[in-house]
Amino acid sequence: MFAYASGSWGFGSVKSPACVPSGSGAGGGAATEDQVKVLMIEDDRETADYVSRGLREQGHVVDHTDNGRDGLFRAGDGGYDVLIVDRMLPGIEGLSLVRMLRDANVRTPVLLLTALGGVGDRVRGLDAGGDDYLAKPFAFAELLARINALARRPPLVDVETMLRAGDLEMDLLKRTVTRAGKEIELQPRECQLLEYLLRNAERVVTRTMLLEAVWDFHFDPKTNIVETHISRLRAKLAQSGGPELIHTVRGAGYALRAAGPVANA
Amino acid sequence: MPCALQVPLRTPRVLRTASFRLAALYLLLFTASAVVLGGAVFWMTHATLTQQLETRVQSALHHFTEDFDTGGLQGLVAHAEEYGRGPGALDYLVQSPQGTRLAGDIPVVGFRRGWLGLTAVDQGEPKPVMAYVEALPDGVVVAVGDDVRRIRQAEAAVLRAFAWGVSATLLLGVGGGIWLSQLFLYRVDAISRTAEAIIDGDLTQRIPLRGIGDDLDHLAETLNRMLDRMNKLLESVREASNNIAHDLRTPLSRLGQHLEEARTQARSAADHQRALDSAKAEVEALLGTFAALLRIAEVEAGAQRAAFRRVDLSAIVATVAEAFAPSAEEAGYALIAKVAPGIAVHGDRELLIQMLVNLVENALRHTPPGTQVRLLLGKQAGRAVVVVEDNGPGVPEAERELILRRFYRLDHSRTTPGSGLGLSLVAAVAELHGATLRLADAHPGLRVIVTVNLTRAAGEVEGT
Repeated sequence: MFAYASGSWGFGSVKSPACVPSGSGAGGGAATEDQVKVLMIEDDRETADYVSRGLREQGHVVDHTDNGRDGLFRAGDGGYDVLIVDRMLPGIEGLSLVRMLRDANVRTPVLLLTALGGVGDRVRGLDAGGDDYLAKPFAFAELLARINALARRPPLVDVETMLRAGDLEMDLLKRTVTRAGKEIELQPRECQLLEYLLRNAERVVTRTMLLEAVWDFHFDPKTNIVETHISRLRAKLAQSGGPELIHTVRGAGYALRAAGPVANA
Repeated sequence: MPCALQVPLRTPRVLRTASFRLAALYLLLFTASAVVLGGAVFWMTHATLTQQLETRVQSALHHFTEDFDTGGLQGLVAHAEEYGRGPGALDYLVQSPQGTRLAGDIPVVGFRRGWLGLTAVDQGEPKPVMAYVEALPDGVVVAVGDDVRRIRQAEAAVLRAFAWGVSATLLLGVGGGIWLSQLFLYRVDAISRTAEAIIDGDLTQRIPLRGIGDDLDHLAETLNRMLDRMNKLLESVREASNNIAHDLRTPLSRLGQHLEEARTQARSAADHQRALDSAKAEVEALLGTFAALLRIAEVEAGAQRAAFRRVDLSAIVATVAEAFAPSAEEAGYALIAKVAPGIAVHGDRELLIQMLVNLVENALRHTPPGTQVRLLLGKQAGRAVVVVEDNGPGVPEAERELILRRFYRLDHSRTTPGSGLGLSLVAAVAELHGATLRLADAHPGLRVIVTVNLTRAAGEVEGT
């Protein structure tokens, strides 16, 4: 049996969607690509159009406003699953807007958008109450994956002890992983990787999401460390046979999918 | 002299210089004080001489009064004629009660007592005198006067002396002022000429020194040093922008090729897809380069220092080593980490991670497979020491400083992928943390040593 080092297991102080214990829906694989209601507060029309078009193609509902004041008003009304907030906004600046929403007890997940290369922007954004952070320019797949992850954030109170996908089980209390009843020995980092994939099962997670959640790397290394770790994890999961669980999604990232009824395009 | 400075119908430049104005001001003050001094001397001379004259006249009158008292009018006349003889003698008048002159060479005066300015006739020559008229009993009038020309001459001499003195002062002052100003102007012009030349683009120009170590030399030296520094900065900026232009041109032209391929040569949807994927990869690489450049600039600006926190360096070095070990192994490298536990520094966690990652990636990227890369963390003399070393080909000593520059790449690494910015960011992050970054020879290979101050409460680690 593999004993997990207490320090490296779990996500510690890393603030990301992965820290939050997931709800029952996460492992079940029943609901996959539900419709998400998004409010985009972005003053750049082209970015807004590009994102709105893409999200609508995915079957989501997108409202757009180009200034902070209006955005604050509409976001405060509630009814949205995710807010996309640009940092630089006319009217009310993005960070202040998020702070005001949080002060007003609006808990809707917020994805902050910012300009290229900002050092410390992420930390400031998260301090203000943002939930995730994306630097412009971004790939649409990246944005989509993050919105899906944010929209499916389960309630905070739910305590999960088991994560499941098909015949794969992860016991969060005993810190063990089994597939079809057979125990699989994983390195601490591989465990973190698998936990993140399981918590986001049936959803696409991108390379950068994994880098942030598992390694706390908030930049893009040139080396293919994610690929290497994924392939090692895959090899270990395949030891006891069974279908491939971790799928590569071309141009986007990876998705852990239980074999069977859910075959998402 | 630049023609722009020739302003017609105005005072000559030299007269408008600060030094000339200063000289003129001093001259004015000096002249004014000379005039006051001259006035005082003049007045003193005048007063003294006049007083002497009065004393002489009064004592003579006293004698006359006594003569009149003892010898009457006869005795007075006899005495007066006697006194009036000889050069330098005083001038007299004895006047009868009828108003006629009885003796002396002063013309008849009235009967009023007091001082009078008169013209006496001395041996046929008229001369100005100051006389005192005294009325004696019985209507007899006596007047005694003295030649005032001596006083006037003395006064004139004093005035002349001062006039010469002041004129000489003015002349020397103006001349000297102009001369000094010209000297000053000459040197200021030298500075201006240098500045003009630099404005015109000749950045090698420096202000000539006179070598006498005066304040202007001092100023010129300081300005020259400033110019040297600016020139250096300008060169590095120029080099950086040249490099940027050069390094961005290549991926941009490749991007153009991919798009051109998609437009003209793609025969199938798969061809299209492939060309577009390549184009997208180029764009991503370009954006990565821009992000790195902006990040370096931002790190160099140093604002991040305000957000410094306690960072568990041991933990992040271990994480980086662990993250890269599998990839390194797969590519045929050995990544070995030796991390002393519990080393914490004051800094930016994200940037420190990126610094370590860049160093490790740099070692992996620029050495052949089979190379051993070692990542070490230890404590030395109260500082945290991070060492990233390899046993690869190493970097020639002459180029070790250069590889820290933006876009600088060794000749043999021109063809390997990479932006040439990784080590620049390392240098910027090290600088931000007050760390020393040293590149040394690992015999063989390159050894990069980063030394950072430990946090004040060294040793203990924040809870994970």
